[in-house]
Amino acid sequence: MQEKTIYKSVKKVILLLAVAILSLSIYSCSQKHEHTSVLGGKNYSIYILGKNGKEYIIETNALDSGKILPEKQGAILDVKTMDRDIIVKDGSYYHLNRKKAQLSKYNIQNDSLYTIASIPLKDFSIENYFWAGKDSLLLTGLDIKDFTQTKYVLIETGKMSMLSSGNLAIPQPSGKFTSMSIGFVELRKSHLFIGYTYHQQLSSSNYTTSDTTYIAELGYPQMKLLKINKDTRSTYPGGINTVQSYSFNDEQNNYYFMSCPGIALGNRPDLPTGIFRIKAGAESLDKDYFINISSSVVKNHAYGMWYLGNNKAIIRSERKDLFKGLGDHYSTAHFEFYLIDLAAAKVLKKLDLPLDKGTRRECVIVKDNIAYIAVNSSTKGNFVWMYNVETNSLKKGLELAGNTDFIMRIDKLNP
Amino acid sequence: MNINQELIERYHRDECTKEERKAVEDWLFTDDFAEELDLPIGENKTEHKASIWNEIAPVLPKERIIKSHLFSFWKGAVAASFVLGLIGLSFYPLTLKTKNDSPQLVSIDNTSAISVRHLDSKGYNISVGPNTFAKINYATGSVDLSGSMLISPKKDVELKFKGTDKKISLKMGQTYIILNGKTGEDKIIVVSERNLMDLPPVLQKQIINQFSI
Repeated sequence: MQEKTIYKSVKKVILLLAVAILSLSIYSCSQKHEHTSVLGGKNYSIYILGKNGKEYIIETNALDSGKILPEKQGAILDVKTMDRDIIVKDGSYYHLNRKKAQLSKYNIQNDSLYTIASIPLKDFSIENYFWAGKDSLLLTGLDIKDFTQTKYVLIETGKMSMLSSGNLAIPQPSGKFTSMSIGFVELRKSHLFIGYTYHQQLSSSNYTTSDTTYIAELGYPQMKLLKINKDTRSTYPGGINTVQSYSFNDEQNNYYFMSCPGIALGNRPDLPTGIFRIKAGAESLDKDYFINISSSVVKNHAYGMWYLGNNKAIIRSERKDLFKGLGDHYSTAHFEFYLIDLAAAKVLKKLDLPLDKGTRRECVIVKDNIAYIAVNSSTKGNFVWMYNVETNSLKKGLELAGNTDFIMRIDKLNP
Repeated sequence: MNINQELIERYHRDECTKEERKAVEDWLFTDDFAEELDLPIGENKTEHKASIWNEIAPVLPKERIIKSHLFSFWKGAVAASFVLGLIGLSFYPLTLKTKNDSPQLVSIDNTSAISVRHLDSKGYNISVGPNTFAKINYATGSVDLSGSMLISPKKDVELKFKGTDKKISLKMGQTYIILNGKTGEDKIIVVSERNLMDLPPVLQKQIINQFSI
């Protein structure tokens, strides 16, 4: 009898609570809308992985000084749906939710990630993105069962609507090869260049990659395969560019990309990391151009490349004497940054920065002769450093403190 | 008396009073326990029952999962089948030696080429990948693994891997990806799930696919 009375009062409390929560949500929703209209777009966004596995996005106007604690100033992310393989443009973030199989467009409102619109993207693993226009996002990817069928979608990002989609006629892996990767996408008027290669799975923790860099040339927007270019000077052209950049155009529209045969991408460490070029107006690789990074003063493999302007670029290279294998490649601080002269096709010098940790990171932004370089040092903290391209000087800027373990990416949020 | 997780755990550890022990055992052997079961508010009992059964049913006859207990058969069998059954596991107690608080050894041989096996034990949540053999000794923290698994410890732990002297610290509540090939040349890779993007894309895709993460 007594139990029943308690049961009834519990029920009442639940009912009351439900009403209270409902009213609160309605109230906060109406608040949100008022707040949104007064928000101005910040210049930069910073993606943080915290020491306790929590993740944050911080938006800020300046990277050159100050200190930010992500747990205080950042929007905390739901790590079940969010990860750092994002595309950042004009105040918005784009991310593929693998479980829901939908691509969503987000922005930050009231210190939390807010979904603006979503579009279904089934059986699609993003390999590389390319902005075909201000609001048209071209995604290239693979099927999610075997990773053997290349495909594409073209999305209008204003309303998040599908403009076109389909399979690409790039040959699927055959013979000993079991899967493939797309490493870069470049559009030149009506010609689309897609860099790719093939892989062979050896065990649950081991695989290898073909010794060949392939470049497919397709007619755009029909996506008809025109020809395939092969090169064996190095393999695994580029990488997944939602996580890190590996290619760019210079002021004259010469296209450069880096090949990454090191253990973190191609796992063909016998081949050198190199920089390739497709000259402006050309339809195939420049056979006379190759910067061999591994045989240069760098003497290591590299992953990640960013353009500084005036034929200079920054690359991020590993130190094989400091890590043991893939198990500690991401957690040990061993990465260095080198300056490259693209015109002279040579490595200029190492930047005097602390050793950096994290296998793959989008960590360089260039603006007005300044390269902002985010470095995660194990001993000297997490800072954005400023390299002045003209004066050749390095200066410490914004500090990411508090719960910060890794600065995973820094992006230009608004132009 | 309310039968809840805490009480079952204490029963497991042999820390119950006589009355508590009787209550647990009475409850275990009665069919109708609707009154005592503490489900979170809003959770539907029938749905839980169905989902537990759905998880157990397909794996029961196929698996070769061996679990050693070091405490008396009945307590072990009854408490373990309840705790494990409740969370949808396919363990089966076989050998029982002396009195102890928890299973010391979990050995899983997942011979399926496609599906993943999920285990929720006292110390860890574990998902074992296809074609994977895993043996974990809870007492010593030693792991023998061939294949792939995800592990999420319920407290900070240190694991040792067979064939290496390397010790790896895992933090409570975080999920780790552990890969080890079947040949001696393949090195053990332990990476926090939050650093999945640091793994080579070829391995990333394999893990994402296998474990549906």
